[in-house]
Amino acid sequence: MIHVGDAGLRSTVQDRGRFGHLRSGVPPAGAADAFALAAANALVGNADDAAGIEIIGGPFSFTCDDSRVVAVAGRDVSLATRSRLPGWTSVFVRAGQVVTVHAGERTRFAYVAVSGGIETTPILGSRAAYLPAGLGTSLRAGDALPLGDTQAGAEDAARGVDPTVYDGRIRAMAGPHDDRFEGDAIARFFNDAFVVEPASDRQGVRLGDVPIAPRTGELLSCGIVAGAVQVPRGGAPIVLLADHQTTGGYPVIATVIAADLGKVAQSLPGESLRFYRVERDTAVDALRAERRALDGARVSA
Amino acid sequence: MTPRVVPFGESALLVELGDEFQESTVRRARGIADHWETVLGFGPAVPAYASAVLRFDPLRTAPADAQSVAESLLARGELTLIADDTPGRVVEIPTTYDGPDLAGTAERSNLSVADLIRLHAEREYTAYFLGFLPGTAYCGRLDPRIVAPRLERPRERVPAGSVAIADGQTIVYPLASPGGWRLIGRTDLVMFDPGAAEPVRIRAGDRVRFVPL
Repeated sequence: MIHVGDAGLRSTVQDRGRFGHLRSGVPPAGAADAFALAAANALVGNADDAAGIEIIGGPFSFTCDDSRVVAVAGRDVSLATRSRLPGWTSVFVRAGQVVTVHAGERTRFAYVAVSGGIETTPILGSRAAYLPAGLGTSLRAGDALPLGDTQAGAEDAARGVDPTVYDGRIRAMAGPHDDRFEGDAIARFFNDAFVVEPASDRQGVRLGDVPIAPRTGELLSCGIVAGAVQVPRGGAPIVLLADHQTTGGYPVIATVIAADLGKVAQSLPGESLRFYRVERDTAVDALRAERRALDGARVSA
Repeated sequence: MTPRVVPFGESALLVELGDEFQESTVRRARGIADHWETVLGFGPAVPAYASAVLRFDPLRTAPADAQSVAESLLARGELTLIADDTPGRVVEIPTTYDGPDLAGTAERSNLSVADLIRLHAEREYTAYFLGFLPGTAYCGRLDPRIVAPRLERPRERVPAGSVAIADGQTIVYPLASPGGWRLIGRTDLVMFDPGAAEPVRIRAGDRVRFVPL
């Protein structure tokens, strides 16, 4: 078991997401910064689909009943056992040893992975919490969650993955509704800086300052994906994240590539984002590079 | 518009069948989604009025290959519906017609409240697809005498179980959420229950009736 001490502002169990019920209107959920959770999982020897904990607003602390390898990843994160250690590195902890996750000034989401993975009972094929529909709960002090079996030991500690550079430079593919916009709207989208608004959450990051209105005309609701940049009539774009609704009726001017979506999720109100147009090959190459980085770090437990 | 397949990021494709919503297009979108998901097994698909989003893993299937498969599905015209092998299911929604937009919508439609209720309840609707939030089934079509555009200012919070209409369709809000449809009634039926064998009350393809209480 893992025992939660301080529970942070809102902490939930998350995995890669729930993709088997999109057609029933169930949002995918899963880690908002997918690469950070994947890195933490790889560092402790977990499978890609293992669940960890997503933390919004520290402090978060925990202990485990037996010795485990743990890792913390995310923007501007570190952890402390007896000493302070950087994020994106695996650490061996003994039974009962208190681990504290430290969120920095620029942390929006921090991820904890524990070797063996969090093994709460899956709901609809996933352990990812989706709080608006009562799938999973917000963790509280004193909660105890089951962990899976692990072979990882002290020799698997001190591995690292290069942290994401959370720099606000976001690659995106145009469309699929780019033809619903005037040419200068596309040019402005891929040229101007957008300021992140405070009303951003796991559903989406709201952008202000540069109004880019679509041409008039109704758009029939269609399925959407995380990374879609929806532009409502007012022209202030929203980049959809893990908790996005499964369908939407706003034109999508561009789609952030999967490899850069974590950077959008971790952006803070008042920071600015710039979008750089890329083609599909570049987006797939970026995913492949992520995969290589994770495979290189994975402990062979 | 000409039907087409366009990339939706690197891990999905959007099949666009047109920009008008017709029953035949809804069925075709569902057929394409079923084939993608069940027959071909590329990944999850989300059909809607006249489109389908087809997901795939670009590290397993080259996007260009996925796209040519999607294009061949588009070229095949009507596909057999797989998830729809038990048609004819009728779902009844016991409804108390007392919503805050009932009187206003009746007035806008030049109908009495009683006539609006009768027109809403006497039709059997088809559930076209599910979207928005878990268990939200888009059902149509409304009697054309009911005039119900979406609200100019969506409500911050619509209660769970609200029976609503807009743009020729009707839905039940499964969860409390923001919403811009006109609220004409409510039901106590649970529309989404993640613990149930069948988590959603209404499935795509079901026929739906509202029964006044």
